[in-house]
Amino acid sequence: MFKKILIANRGEIALRVINTCKDMGIGTVSVYSDADEKAIHVLSSDEAVYIGSSEPSESYLNIDKIIKAANDTNSEAIHPGYGFLAENYDFAQRCEKEGIVFIGPGSKAIKDLGDKITSRKIMVEGGVPVTPGLTSTEADAGVMAQEAQKVGYPVLIKATAGGGGKGIRIVNSPDEMEEACASASREALNAFGNGEIYLEKFFINARHIEFQILADTFGNTIHVLERECSIQRRHQKIIEETPSNVLTPELRKEMGAAAVAAAKASGYVNAGTVEFLLDSDNNFYFLEINTRLQVEHPVTEMITGIDLVRQQLEIAAGNKLSLKQEDIIGRGHSIECRIYAEDPANDFFPSPGKIEFLKEPKGPGIRNDCGVYTGFEVPVDYDPIISKLVVHAETREYAIDKMLKALKEYIILGVRSPIDFLIDVLESEPFSKGDVYTNFIETHFSDWEENPDELDIARIAYVVDEMCNRNMKTGLSVTQKVQTPFNTLGNWRL
Amino acid sequence: MEYKLTIQENTLPVEIDSTDENKVTAKIEDREYDLKYSLISENELHLMVNGKSVNVYVSKNSSGKTIMLEGKTYQIEDADNVSKGPKKRKGVDGPTTVTPHMPAVVIAVSVKEGDRVEKGQGVVVVSAMKMETTLTAPYTGVVTGVNVAENDKVMPGEILVDIEEVKAEEVSELEN
Repeated sequence: MFKKILIANRGEIALRVINTCKDMGIGTVSVYSDADEKAIHVLSSDEAVYIGSSEPSESYLNIDKIIKAANDTNSEAIHPGYGFLAENYDFAQRCEKEGIVFIGPGSKAIKDLGDKITSRKIMVEGGVPVTPGLTSTEADAGVMAQEAQKVGYPVLIKATAGGGGKGIRIVNSPDEMEEACASASREALNAFGNGEIYLEKFFINARHIEFQILADTFGNTIHVLERECSIQRRHQKIIEETPSNVLTPELRKEMGAAAVAAAKASGYVNAGTVEFLLDSDNNFYFLEINTRLQVEHPVTEMITGIDLVRQQLEIAAGNKLSLKQEDIIGRGHSIECRIYAEDPANDFFPSPGKIEFLKEPKGPGIRNDCGVYTGFEVPVDYDPIISKLVVHAETREYAIDKMLKALKEYIILGVRSPIDFLIDVLESEPFSKGDVYTNFIETHFSDWEENPDELDIARIAYVVDEMCNRNMKTGLSVTQKVQTPFNTLGNWRL
Repeated sequence: MEYKLTIQENTLPVEIDSTDENKVTAKIEDREYDLKYSLISENELHLMVNGKSVNVYVSKNSSGKTIMLEGKTYQIEDADNVSKGPKKRKGVDGPTTVTPHMPAVVIAVSVKEGDRVEKGQGVVVVSAMKMETTLTAPYTGVVTGVNVAENDKVMPGEILVDIEEVKAEEVSELEN
């Protein structure tokens, strides 16, 4: 096993990796920018290396500086976390060249799977069902229209490069095709420097279901069950859970086998996630493989009892998977809520600032992967995630109750958080019935507003707080003014 | 004593009387409350309201107090302070200055001193947490000062670009 690794990330995910390293007796090196001088990952690691200004390209995205930090500290491996350089094949390749172990898949798998056309081709050859559509790029809108006729409208025109919802158009009828192709291509060219597009079928009432996979360098590949990630806002997941309430044991087995086939077809090694769309008739289609540890990995850890970061480290160190498919058993139900510094009443606009007060929820079955502390200034430069609140209980119903309790006990002052919004989502009928689709927030919560209900108590608390603070101040001055011989007499001796 | 407290633009008087040590009665409209309270820390209060236990969390900010209770957030202002306090002035000044709504980083400055700008014209682009916002000229006028450059960190209230207003009649004069 490694003696020391460098973590090329920040905040809660860097801390998550550091925690497992401490369990395993592995030394940890953090890197940090100006904004993160006092960040939690710097405070928690054995060593910390300053790598530059807060601008990501000068620090967390700067390959040269991170490689230098790894070499200077004699780190044997680098864990990239998620985001930043996690799915950058140049970075993985550079690590390979420098003789530093990249804790993730090989650079070739990252490159192949990062290109939507290449990955679709690999999956088709590997016998994995993909969404109906093209497996090559197409510049002619007429050909696109013919293909659309074949798979049926609506269809998606998608850029082969990039992600983040850019270069994607939904086309509902043939007359929209030409304009959609032109604008998707233009947007992709601007955003990614590559205007190539292709077509696939669009599913309106679909679920987003992903499978965790683990693959070692000896060709052993297993899946570690599914996660349901349909609740999204602005194409970003905010609530995830496992198990999915729509998977029968048969369908789970079938999709799990497809996930393993997808990993094998692409020569995948280490932890990864195979994303599928599940349509209303329970047909599933390969979407993509995320070549990293996912943000939402804790829900899988909660129901299986497996430390996925430990598995990553073992695989990267060249060890054989100690787990077999039949060892993977899910118990109970787990839900994760992502807590961002954002304003749910104002279109989830980021709300950076200083954490004035933080009280994390506690109790059996509650885990909070938190990247901030009281007094920490949430920087404007990075993703505004504060923590991931995760619960585990016997059933979905109990897990929802536990999450509601935890959310109500979670106090974050100084920045706005979506806690009240999440409470309303979890208390809603469609969520408790498990009617979760990717359009859930748009359908049920697009015009959500704050709905404070304890207005009297809040007002009374305001006044009581005024009274207490005044008493505290006067109380202090009274004790200071107490006259005793010991502070009124000068120096004298008996 | 009486406070006038505003939540979401709704102002109500709160009458509070101290009855005993750490005990008060409160009246809001026709609703009456018996309260026992204790201060747990600078930010935590424990209340017994008509016999029911409630934990309340409080932090001060520029315009009043933020209170969290049972998962909900309440922004409360003292109506007596608001009318003469800085908040109100900010409200009037807000749309007439070029300032970000939250701490941000300057991505681009698209004007220089001496430039004519139209009301609503983008003058500075700022970025906070991966989201870009364009700040616009609050009125038609002439840029008299650019106080920031690319990559500068800026705070709400900080004036990024000074613009001297040019009235409509002066505009036509300038154009002539």
